[in-house]
Amino acid sequence: MQRRSFLKGIMMTGAAAAVVSPSLAFSAEAPKGPNAMDLDTAIKAITGGKSVSASAKVQLKAPEIAENGAVVPVSVTVDSPMSAEDHVKAIHIFATKNSNVRCADVMLTPANGKASFSTRVKLGTSQDVMALVVTSKGEFLSAAQNVKVTIGGCG
Amino acid sequence: MKKIILASALLGVLAFGSDQFAMSDADRAMYQEMLENNPADMDVAWGGELFEANIGSEEALAKFLGVKAEELAAYLSGFPRYIEKLGMVASQEQVLQGAMAEAGKKPLALKSKEMAAMGAYVKSLSNGLPISIDINANEQMKKAYAFGEEVFTQHRGGRGLSCMSCHAPAVIGSILRTQPLPDLGSEANKAAATWPAYRMTKSSMSTLQKRFQGCMENALLAVIPMGSPEMNALEVYVTHAAKGKEIAIPGLKR
Amino acid sequence: MATKSLVKIKPKTYKVGDVVEVSLMVMHPMETGLRKDKETGNLIPAHYINDVKFSFNGTPFTTIKSWESLSTNPVYTVSYKVSGEGEIKVAFTDTKGDANENGTKIKPKA
Repeated sequence: MQRRSFLKGIMMTGAAAAVVSPSLAFSAEAPKGPNAMDLDTAIKAITGGKSVSASAKVQLKAPEIAENGAVVPVSVTVDSPMSAEDHVKAIHIFATKNSNVRCADVMLTPANGKASFSTRVKLGTSQDVMALVVTSKGEFLSAAQNVKVTIGGCG
Repeated sequence: MKKIILASALLGVLAFGSDQFAMSDADRAMYQEMLENNPADMDVAWGGELFEANIGSEEALAKFLGVKAEELAAYLSGFPRYIEKLGMVASQEQVLQGAMAEAGKKPLALKSKEMAAMGAYVKSLSNGLPISIDINANEQMKKAYAFGEEVFTQHRGGRGLSCMSCHAPAVIGSILRTQPLPDLGSEANKAAATWPAYRMTKSSMSTLQKRFQGCMENALLAVIPMGSPEMNALEVYVTHAAKGKEIAIPGLKR
Repeated sequence: MATKSLVKIKPKTYKVGDVVEVSLMVMHPMETGLRKDKETGNLIPAHYINDVKFSFNGTPFTTIKSWESLSTNPVYTVSYKVSGEGEIKVAFTDTKGDANENGTKIKPKA
């Protein structure tokens, strides 16, 4: 019993430390899954190497501090008329430090009326969440936000 | 390694009681928005199917409880209640067990997923109504409330913790690992009005009594069985703390 | 048993021309393939929803390819501009080939 409570104590304090210095708790190499893909490769597969510009037209909402990495709300909205000649064709969501950075590739049409997508993602560690938007004009726009993953609360 | 442990232990102490690492209101609002697409809605919908298969209809449940069908929702908002038929202060789930037994069915176990779903569905029938528990309704309820207070405040386990260790007015609002310790009866938390709830850390729906058990386990207290007099009394005590608050099932919790 | 799912429209009332939010929720483990079975110690194979298609009266308007990084019991929310009365259907398939469909009626207010 005593040993267990001691270990629990370490776990708790470890979590608090993780907020301050993620490198302490997350120094081990993350395991690679069958779909492992890094950010550069994933972006290149979409853009074919064309440049991506960070744009205020892309609004990405995610919590600055996620109380639990297993459920992190992410929502993306893009300013776009969503007309036949000018619309968002795709919203890609990346968890930039997950083993497979790809979360969702969302193909939109003018029938959507508004370019938006929201979901919940799993984040293995503190990292940037990024949206890459492809427009019908062939532009590649992006937005990103850093999310600190903690182990919040008890139980 | 030792140094790291010492350093993090120190940080742990500092983090407790400061709001340095607390989530912002904007972050919390994002989590609140998730209520609109609460995965536990699927459990409640499933619970509706189970209710139909196991109890039959709201009329059947109303009949078992001896109330008019149109008064069922209001009556259900007053649980836990002393149920003469069962001879005890019963949780809503125990009433569902009773109704199943009376219909010649084998009651679902209190800790089963099926019972949690069915119970959540039945509790959701009172959504929008205030919690109407009456701890002065009879001697049994008076006793259950007093007993619940005892369970809530009793120091147990190797660390001598009680529910009060984290939910007493003096510590409410302190930050424990990014989360403020909640006042279980407050409008913001109104625990009894928002359980069963989806637990994001467990990726599943859980009931109030199951949550109590989780607390006890983490605090190294002997876990009290669901449906026991102690557990029901604790539910009475915590439900009374949120009396009058609007019922909104299912909730969404960390 | 069919995979449990729900399709929701927000807000509840709308007119032709309004943009509403359509959400699909699914009860699904969304296994990453990186998690170990606590009892056997073996890796649990990846198992997640990889394909979602929203359509209105048979015409697709959004297709989503999703990956193991979406949370357990995932939610997909997109916008839809109401064009008239009909039905939105959402078809989804997981990596084991389990195909399901759910839907909701679209009834604009005059």
